[in-house]
Amino acid sequence: MSSGQTSHSLAFRVMRLCRPSFHVDNPLLLDPADLLAGEDIFDDPLAASDLPRLLHNHTLKSNDSDLTYRTRFLLNDPSDAMGLSGLLVLPQSFGAIYLGETFCSYISINNSSNFEVRDVAIKAEMQTEKQRILLLDTSKSPVESIRAGGRYDFIVEHDVKELGAHTLVCTAVYNDGDGERKYLPQFFKFVVANPLSVKTKVRIVKDNTFLEACIENHTKSNLYMDQVEFEPSQHWTATVLKAGEGLSDNDAPTREIFKPPILIRSGGGIQNYLYQLKLSSQGSAQMKVDGSNVLGKLQITWRTNLGEPGRLQTQQILGSPITRKEIELQVMEVPSVTILERPFLVHLNLTNQTDRTMGPFEVWLSQSDYREEQVVMVNGLRAMALPQVEAFCSTDFRLNLIATKLGVQKITGITVFDIREKRTYEPLPDLEIFVDSD
Amino acid sequence: MATDSPSEDSTPAADGFIASDPLSSPFGSLNDLCYELSSLQELATRGSWRSILDKVSRARKLSLLQKPHEHLCYFSYNVLALVKLRRYGDVSEELASLEDLDHSIYQYESHPDVYPGRFGSMIPFALRWIHAEIPLKLGKRQETLDRLYTLLDFARTRVDEKGSRGLGVSADVWKRREVFVVNSIIGHHLSHKEFGVCVSLIRQLLSGGCRDDPAVVSKLGCIQLQIGDLEGAKASFELVEKMGKEERLGSLSEIEFKNLVNRNKALVYLVGKDYVSAVREYEECIERDGSDVVAINNKALCLMYLRDLSDSIKVLENALERVPTVALNETLVVNLCSMYELAYVNHSDIKRTLSMNVGFGYVPLTQLKLG
Repeated sequence: MSSGQTSHSLAFRVMRLCRPSFHVDNPLLLDPADLLAGEDIFDDPLAASDLPRLLHNHTLKSNDSDLTYRTRFLLNDPSDAMGLSGLLVLPQSFGAIYLGETFCSYISINNSSNFEVRDVAIKAEMQTEKQRILLLDTSKSPVESIRAGGRYDFIVEHDVKELGAHTLVCTAVYNDGDGERKYLPQFFKFVVANPLSVKTKVRIVKDNTFLEACIENHTKSNLYMDQVEFEPSQHWTATVLKAGEGLSDNDAPTREIFKPPILIRSGGGIQNYLYQLKLSSQGSAQMKVDGSNVLGKLQITWRTNLGEPGRLQTQQILGSPITRKEIELQVMEVPSVTILERPFLVHLNLTNQTDRTMGPFEVWLSQSDYREEQVVMVNGLRAMALPQVEAFCSTDFRLNLIATKLGVQKITGITVFDIREKRTYEPLPDLEIFVDSD
Repeated sequence: MATDSPSEDSTPAADGFIASDPLSSPFGSLNDLCYELSSLQELATRGSWRSILDKVSRARKLSLLQKPHEHLCYFSYNVLALVKLRRYGDVSEELASLEDLDHSIYQYESHPDVYPGRFGSMIPFALRWIHAEIPLKLGKRQETLDRLYTLLDFARTRVDEKGSRGLGVSADVWKRREVFVVNSIIGHHLSHKEFGVCVSLIRQLLSGGCRDDPAVVSKLGCIQLQIGDLEGAKASFELVEKMGKEERLGSLSEIEFKNLVNRNKALVYLVGKDYVSAVREYEECIERDGSDVVAINNKALCLMYLRDLSDSIKVLENALERVPTVALNETLVVNLCSMYELAYVNHSDIKRTLSMNVGFGYVPLTQLKLG
């Protein structure tokens, strides 16, 4: 029976294999002209003509047989001073791991004993708070043998979809040098954190719904926002609104490569996005029936170091409850033909769609924005008084109107005002009537 | 050969072409510039910094230096050697012993008997630059950045001044220094991941002095890859290839340029996780130039991502054996040690062997994580 005291021939070595990074150093390399003579020597015309030739013989152009350490003293190319040679460095520590990223690891099982081990069944699993996911399993075709000092390597990948504690469980079952069947478990723990928080705000301006999304970066690196897309739910359409990209770069060759990247600073940086949403008429009807107000969700893809991708989706974003109308004003009947300067009635219905008593109300024709005078006016008192309406009840009433011009005219601005809540509702859309002569 | 247009300050012999006999020219050899300068320079290229300190100390003790600029030249080599030996405190003290670098005592015209008819500063530019870089080494990063930006301004003023005086060659030298300082500044911002600043500084370089430098455009591509802007990086690398077709190679040789293009291609493959194609590109580089350390190092990394740890170790060990003077750099050694840690349970032993082979002085033991 194997216990913690058993000595094992095999051991797991694990290294997180996120992408490498470019090494940046501070190279301290010089141009010989900056060291061998005074900085203004080239003002002297004799120096200007002779010195470059002399210095050229002492500049760096290395070749295979150059056994000096010139490369650590002299500049080869002026841009070497930047310290970005293109050398890549392997990840030097485990680092932080975030929801939405892909966990990738190099796993090497080493035989550090002096004997061959045989029939090695290897398993790698990811244990989270909710589940245990199999990443690799060689039990159906075990590794025949690993010689003394030998290794068996594999790479595992796992899309991180849960927060909190994770454990990479590596197990090997093998026959050791003595023929004993041994069981080796090894555990590598790490914690998954949340990389972003998304705050949304829904605003309604007239018929337009706007969605503001603010993304905050909680990670330790800058996030390059690859795509932030709003996926609207059924019946909604979305367009992203961007500020004009005022990049006045007159230099044609560089124009394409200088589209400014959207980079959210590490540890608390934010970026805002704005979407305009439109509800189709079908959707409008649907919404009145079942009161559902799901706008959709945000799909966010970002990249960090050397393009390492991450991907998250928000939960369903709901519209503001105010879209649901408390008061519904409907036109029941309008005479299609009216006579000039003869009063006519428009039959209207006011429905209280809330669960509480509303009102009392006043109804009038509001002055339109246009300078044109109103053609159709109220015949009688400017405002019509309506009593309170109980919850989920309605009331019928008739407006007495009169038209002052012939032809096709509009009844504009039928508006309801709640006296108690001191609230004016959106006016009804214009109604068309035909005004005939006597 | 550069020609200078005539100016008020030039000597009569300066009109048009200067044809001078190299044997009698005061700029025929390094030793003409300064006492035993060729020996100093030789020591520096061999990395014999302690020998330089000895030589300077001896020259001072035996009063072997006659002219003011010779003292300054030896001073500069001394400071440089101290920097390379990481004796930053000593560097600071040495620099403090000088007057302000713009003091008139360091101007040629203050010593008319030694330098008849010569005007300007005899301070080697390297000294100004080291003076700017040293605070960072002593933990004062902001001071270094301030000094470098001031130095940049200083260089730009000189470019304008030399230009307006018709001193074409001198103006070109100062333009090169301006580019050099910008590159240094970008390096500092890069190491602090201040990528926005880096990109806009490179933009300045590309619209000015580095318009024809594919190395700078490639570095922009690398920064874009580091950020994660893959589309931007691809556009930069395409621009590099276009520059090649237009024969704008900057200061690169044809081989260096070809390798640059291959390495850029390899990076794009690497980022797309097509490590096999990346290895292929790097092998082309190595075949063309066996001392292309970047290609060697990065190829080894790709092999590792292809699950071939043994071969990745072999590539790096082989390089250290075959081209030690170029392969011996911290990054390559760090990568090799990471691979050893993964490959061997008793990795301390093999790392100790490595450190003995490469020499203790060069790579700090802490880098090897011997534990």
